[in-house]
Formats: sequence, C-alpha cells, structure tokens
Amino acid sequence: MLVTSLTKSISEISGNRDTNLSNDFFLPKGEQMENIISIKDVFYKYPGSDNYAVNGISLDIKANEWISIVGKNGSGKTTLTRLIDGLEECESGTIEIDGVVTDEETIWDARKKIGIVFQNPDHQFVGATVEDDVAFGLENQGMPREQMINAVDNALKMVDMQDFKKRDPQSLSGGQKQRVAIAGVLAIKPQIIIMDESTSMLDPEGRKTVINLIEQLRSEQNLTVISITHDIEETQLSDRIIVLNSGKIVKDTDPADLYNLGPQLTEFGLEEPFTNLVAAGLTDLIDFKGYITEEGLIDKLCELNLKR
Amino acid sequence: MRIEFEKVTHSYESSNPMSGLGLANVSCTIESGQFTAIVGKTGSGKSTLVKHINALLKPTSGTITVGDHQITPETDNKNLKPLRKKVGMVFQFPESQLFEDTVEKDIMFGPKNFGFTEEQAKEAASKMIEVVGLGPDYLTKSPFDLSGGQMRRVAIAGVLASDPETIILDEPTAGLDPVGRKEIMDLFKAQQSRGKTIILITHNMDDVANYADKLMVMHDSHLVGQGTPKQVFNDQELLNKNYISLPQSAVFAQKLAAKGFTFDQLPITISELTAEIKQQIHGD
Repeated sequence: MLVTSLTKSISEISGNRDTNLSNDFFLPKGEQMENIISIKDVFYKYPGSDNYAVNGISLDIKANEWISIVGKNGSGKTTLTRLIDGLEECESGTIEIDGVVTDEETIWDARKKIGIVFQNPDHQFVGATVEDDVAFGLENQGMPREQMINAVDNALKMVDMQDFKKRDPQSLSGGQKQRVAIAGVLAIKPQIIIMDESTSMLDPEGRKTVINLIEQLRSEQNLTVISITHDIEETQLSDRIIVLNSGKIVKDTDPADLYNLGPQLTEFGLEEPFTNLVAAGLTDLIDFKGYITEEGLIDKLCELNLKR
Repeated sequence: MRIEFEKVTHSYESSNPMSGLGLANVSCTIESGQFTAIVGKTGSGKSTLVKHINALLKPTSGTITVGDHQITPETDNKNLKPLRKKVGMVFQFPESQLFEDTVEKDIMFGPKNFGFTEEQAKEAASKMIEVVGLGPDYLTKSPFDLSGGQMRRVAIAGVLASDPETIILDEPTAGLDPVGRKEIMDLFKAQQSRGKTIILITHNMDDVANYADKLMVMHDSHLVGQGTPKQVFNDQELLNKNYISLPQSAVFAQKLAAKGFTFDQLPITISELTAEIKQQIHGD
C-alpha cells in the first residue's frame, strides 16, 4: 500500500505518465530482486508418522542465489525439496514458484522450472546412449524432433560432454555420469536446479568438476541453485546456508558466520571446516576465534615462520 | 584372517570392451587383523577385487587364499557357505537390501542362514543393535520406518551378527552426515581392535589417513601401489600420474611448502600436520 502510494506520488511529482512502469522500479535495490521461491508456514508429515518431517518452514529464495541446505540425516532436507518440486503435497502452508502458488493445477508448470540432480548417478539413467538420456525429459514435454536434437546438443556442450553423446551411460565415470544427468536437467531449461547430494558418491576429482560446472552455469544461465550437502567445503561456495534440525530452520546465514559456531557445528551434523581444526591444534602459536579462511591461516603461519 | 592374492586376473565375459578386464595380474597380502583401505577411481577394479575374497566372483586365472580356503578358477559354488560366514560384506547402500518386516528379523536373517539357532540369532541381533548405536526398542520396528542413516546401521548390524572374521565395506558411509560417518568409522575401528580384519573401499582420503594401517591403490584393473598410507600418499609417481588424491592435511602442507615451509614427508593427519608446523616455527 505504502509502496503504491509512494510510486504514485513520485510519478505525479516527476510528471511521469508511463503507467506501465513497474512498482519495482522505485524499490531499493535489495528488494528489487524477485523471490524465485517463497515458502510460507509449510508443514508436512509422512503418512503413518507422528512427527512433522517439515515443521513450520518459511523461506524466501532469490533468483540466481546459491543456497546450501545442511543438517543431519533425517532433518527434513530432502522432504523440503520434494515439497518444492510438488512430489509431496504440503499439509498446510503455501509454496510459490516464480510468483505462482503451487497446487494440483499449477504444479506441472512449476516443475518445468525445476531440475533435480540426485545422489546416485546410476539411478537416473533411462536411455541407451548419452543423447537418448538427455532427450528423455524433452520427449516428455513433446518437443518436435528437430528442435530436440539441437536442445540435446546444446545441453551436452554446456557440460562439455558432446564427444560422448553416442556412448552408453554405464561406461562413463561417476563424474561424467553426473555431468550427463545435469545436461538432462539443463535441456528442459529450468530456472532452479536442486542438487540432492549429487556429489556425495563421486571421487574427489569428479566432485570438483561437478561443483565448478554448477558455479559456471549459475552465472551463464542465471540459475538459482539449491544444494543439499554434508560437505562443509562445498557450502563455502554458497551465498547462504540454511541449517535444518527436526524439520525446522535453525540457522539462515552466510558461510563465514556459520563456521564461526566452531564445535557447535557437530550438533547440526556438520563437521568443522578443516582450517578451524588445524588452527585449534595450534592455539599456543596463534590466537584464533571462530572461523579462519585457508588463506588467512596460511598467511598467519608464514608470518610466524619468517619471524623465528 | 590372512588373505593372499596370487597373480589374480579376472575378465568379464562381456561384449562391452570397456569393461573387458576387471583385474589384471593382482598379487597382494592382507595380514590378519589389519585395517586395509582400497582406493581408486570409479571403475578401477576395487569392487571386483573384494568380490573375489568371498568368491562372489572367481578368478579367470590365479589363486586367492582366504584363511584356509583356496579360491581358483575351478572353485565351484558348492561348499562356499563356511567361507562366506567368515567374510562379511557390506555393500554400497546396504539399506536397499533390507526386506524383513522387523529390524530384528532382518538382523537375524544372516546368522540363521549360516546355521545359528533361532535363539542364538535373536541373541546376536539384540547385541548387534547396541553395537551399531541403536537401542533395543528398534528391534520391533519396521526397517522401512527408519531414516536412511538408521537403515544403514541395521544393515551393518545384520552383517556383524554372523560374527565374520573379515569385514569388507564398500563405501559404507556414502551419503551419511559427517557425524554419522565418524560414528560408523569408529565402529569399524572398534571391530578391528576385537581382532577382525577390515577391508574398506573408499573415496575419502581423510578416512584412509585416520583409520587404515595399509593402503592399496587400484587403477585400470591393476594394483598400482601399496604400503602404509603415509608411504603411499608420499609416492611421487602415483601423485604425478593422478592415481590418488591426498588427504586435506597433505594438501595443506603442500600449500605451506610453496611458501617456505619444508616437509621431508607430507603429513597425512591433522595431528601430524600441527606437530610439524609447531616444530618448524619453534625450531629445534
């Protein structure tokens, strides 16, 4: 109400008669960014269970944000993402995707905006070749063949797997499989990509490739990334970390602030960042409280090493 | 239980040439009571190797000696029960193998299969549910009402209940939160101190550094390196060829080395790392 009247008065003052001008134009910059996902007071429990798996969650996620969702096994992370994708229906509360409240009718449109990459690469292949597999989601959408061939090629290029398109997915390494799975998700041009522990089964090298790829795609394709993970190093890349415990949000903060919790992190099923653990073993050398970055720790140690 | 591979080769009878050879002329010894880690990229032959230890796979040539059992290309599927009772195997995502309607029945399945009486199997189940960190009240629950982490523990209890001498673990902690992972790893270490031989397939180099006595590195069906974790993680050739990645402490030490610190050998655990740093800064 206030915003509308303010807008009105500004346009009156400036004599601007362009009635199409969006209200957003006059909002402070921070508020101008739209919420791609808006979750309000959502409750959900599995059939036959007494406890709420999601116990009153409200959460706004902005377009292009990278959010990590962390918490112990059973804290409600996966349930929350299943609710976002409409695989489960909220008992109460609402979920808005790209400005539309999801219900039985709107969920199909909402789902086209969301791609999920699952944990186990072996559980998500249906095609006999890499390209068939990437085409699967597009076939479901009824895309004409010519258009589909282009879309598949583009998606495979984005993940740098175009040379593998005739290969059997089963002959690929874990990291390559996840890149193909990501291509399958990208082909449907989602606005939101949900990574449900998608790097946890990969070897360290595969993990690095997938994370770098997602970071790159986020900026190139203007994607919103929601990453469910147990890997503290992986959360360092995100803008925001949401900590879930027993179906509730217990922290909503940036990485450095969360790592400052120190040993308390284990209460949320997380381990402390490696640098914290090293610094904790060197308290007679360095004075440290809370979170220390790798760069910060190396600089400090080099300084001491030169002084001796 | 001593395990010895002598020139073991395994070729898959598959039309796919990509997966032709599973193991190429592998020889190694795993001493009784040792905690051995096996690392290598996806498809390098790690799982193929361990499946020979309880004869789930048989060699195309070569011999595997497991305690007083011998497995050769001629070994047939009869009389393998005594061997399999001694070699317990926890597969990846073992929770997908739960099928009984109560946790207790699920844990009892293995022991009964290996000749335990109903009563002995029940006793083993109530003991093992505690060992894996779940209370006795879990025994009457349906495995399918449990969380993923709890199901994993039940599946592990099921393997431990038959009291195997050797326990083979294929990425037993994949997908567990870090706290749960540490609890499970500590559990296996405790089993080792009770005299069990532990063989662990993993991608987690920090777990290797923290828990294993011996490390074996697989690459393209070949055993390309073995020794103590410290020796293997300091093997320049394996590192240059990118056959292994390093634990976090070793990576951190490399970064310090680039800025004036010196390490004769890369430290592989946090306590080794901090001890080295202190020594260098304080001087001798």
